[in-house]
Amino acid sequence: MPLITLADVSKTYRHGSLEVPALANFSLAVEAGEFTVLAGPSGSGKTTVLNLVGGLDRPSAGTVTVGTLEIGGAPAKILADYRLRRVGFIFQSYNLIPVLTAAENAEFTLMLQGVPRPQRRRRVIGLFAELGIDGLEERRPGDLSGGQQQRVAIARALAAEPDVILADEPTANLDSRTAEELLDLMRDLNLRRGVTFLFSSHDDRVIGRARRVVRLEDGRLAGDTGQRP
Amino acid sequence: MLTALAFRNLWRNRRRTLLTLTAMVVSAALLILSLGVYSGMIDDMLTTTTRLYHGHVVLAAPDYHARRDLHAHLPAASAELPLPAGFAGLLGRTPRLRAFGLLSAAANSQPVEILGVDPAREPTVTTLHRQLAAGRYLQPGETAAAVIGSTLAKKLGATVGSEVVVVTQAADGSIGNDLLIVRGIFTTGDSRHDGRLVVAPLPWLQQLLALDGRIHEVAIAIADPLQAFAAADRFSAALPAGIEARDWGDLLPEMREAIVSFDVSRMIIAGILYFATALGILNTCFMSVMERSREFGLLLASGMRPWGIRRLVLLETLFLGLIGSGLGLVGGLLLTWYMQAIGIDLSGTITPITYAGSTILPRLRAVFDPANFLLPAGMLIAVALVAGFLPANRAARLDPVEALREE
Ligand SMILES: Nc1ncnc2c1ncn2[C@@H]1O[C@H](COP(=O)(O)OP(=O)(O)OP(=O)(O)O)[C@@H](O)[C@H]1O
Ligand SMILES: [Mg+2]
Repeated sequence: MPLITLADVSKTYRHGSLEVPALANFSLAVEAGEFTVLAGPSGSGKTTVLNLVGGLDRPSAGTVTVGTLEIGGAPAKILADYRLRRVGFIFQSYNLIPVLTAAENAEFTLMLQGVPRPQRRRRVIGLFAELGIDGLEERRPGDLSGGQQQRVAIARALAAEPDVILADEPTANLDSRTAEELLDLMRDLNLRRGVTFLFSSHDDRVIGRARRVVRLEDGRLAGDTGQRP
Repeated sequence: MLTALAFRNLWRNRRRTLLTLTAMVVSAALLILSLGVYSGMIDDMLTTTTRLYHGHVVLAAPDYHARRDLHAHLPAASAELPLPAGFAGLLGRTPRLRAFGLLSAAANSQPVEILGVDPAREPTVTTLHRQLAAGRYLQPGETAAAVIGSTLAKKLGATVGSEVVVVTQAADGSIGNDLLIVRGIFTTGDSRHDGRLVVAPLPWLQQLLALDGRIHEVAIAIADPLQAFAAADRFSAALPAGIEARDWGDLLPEMREAIVSFDVSRMIIAGILYFATALGILNTCFMSVMERSREFGLLLASGMRPWGIRRLVLLETLFLGLIGSGLGLVGGLLLTWYMQAIGIDLSGTITPITYAGSTILPRLRAVFDPANFLLPAGMLIAVALVAGFLPANRAARLDPVEALREE
């Protein structure tokens, strides 16, 4: 059974009287442990898919299922708990909290989970070493480079040991060398930890490194390479 | 960590927070100061009315208070009646006899109130002896001496050493008249005392009125005038039939109302001042929340519940309130201390104002009353929390998808 299933999903945003279709009859199944990229032009619905899978939004029609959780029907409380324990988000613009140190940013989800301070600090220090940003724990995000900030964001996403990491154009703000390093890092984490990665990109070099490419166009499925070796 | 986050968030826009804090501190400090000065005025009013003349509690025959009936007298020993034991704050008690009549000097006559007092005991209850503009106060054992008000003295053309004649009706129906020598002249600022009060020795007046061994009232001073109501009740319960204790609120109902109206205007001032402050806090908090939409989006995406976000924002305004009220308290304490120790003398600019049977002295002076500090400080914290409520709700209701899309 796939970890993530989108079955005949439509999503329509409303702008006053104007209806903007973001997804139309979109179906997709992702197995646990995949390293899959959603590719497509701007406005094709990539972010919408990630938001649905991440339980930030509900489909207008169809069903989104992650594990045994059906996102569309779940109460807000359950969705919040789902995001807290089972999903990690990574964003194009890092979205670190500027007044917290790098380590505090990475610890945040663990704090929300109620993990005691020494324990979460230990876990974050281990993660920082693994991600090559050890020694930067006490820096504020403003004092870090883009690549370093995104690594802190990855540490934050990984800290709670989620099943899925959803990354929305995680390399779009980075130069190509840093982007490639980061992608290698994520792939490495995917292999070693077995975390499922679902990310979006319209950068061909990024897309080339994914094991599976799902193409979207105007909110519809426009191609799926399936798992490549 | 949430606490640290809230605290650090406060200083993100340092200048804005400092401006808001300044407004909070200034309003709290000014509120504290003005409450202190208000209390000072009330204190002055209470003192001028009670300590100048009435005393805080008066023991008299039940109908004496209303009619000032010459015949509603008590034995002089009433001034020695045992009062409820263990009542703290009894400063003194003194017997008095009162008559109304005419006072004449060479120039003319004036209607007067003649108060017969015990010169040794009266100063433990009232402060008239400290208001002398000329001459001296009565001395124990002295007879046929008087201390009179300055306006009265002027009208009569009397000075210290002048002889004046008293005419009044005695208790036996005869006309009592006698000669008095003016020994002192007082100025209280209260026109009713300055214009018609004559203070004379008790035994002399008893003789004049043919009321040997009798008095009309016992005036009592206690440490806290606001406890007079309770004290009067306790005294009444312990007194024999035919004697009743009345507090200054009974004796001076206008004064009691004046104090209540002071309380009301105090609340109005606090309300206006803090309403403006609340708008400032609301504005600051709203701006800071609106600027952080993305961040709240992230917190929601990380699994924080809306109430967690509400709590975070409220924590920020709570800190703002705590810092503001802490500094406001310090500022208010300093200002009040200054106004208590030094005060501002306005006697060059305005004359005493007689209001509700008491006198507002031409000075600004604060008194130290814990309620005047704790109330504004506590209210400021509450105001900050209330002002933070709308922005907190706004932040908690954000749609994470929209919030994360914002640039
Ligand atoms: N909250 C929203 N309100 C209104 N319209 C929206 C909203 N979110 C997305 N849309 C619209 O839905 C469509 C799909 O948007 P989506 O963000 O999923 O595209 P995307 O593939 O992520 O694009 P990009 O590469 O620009 O990030 C677009 O037309 C977009 O304008
Ligand atoms: Mg997008």
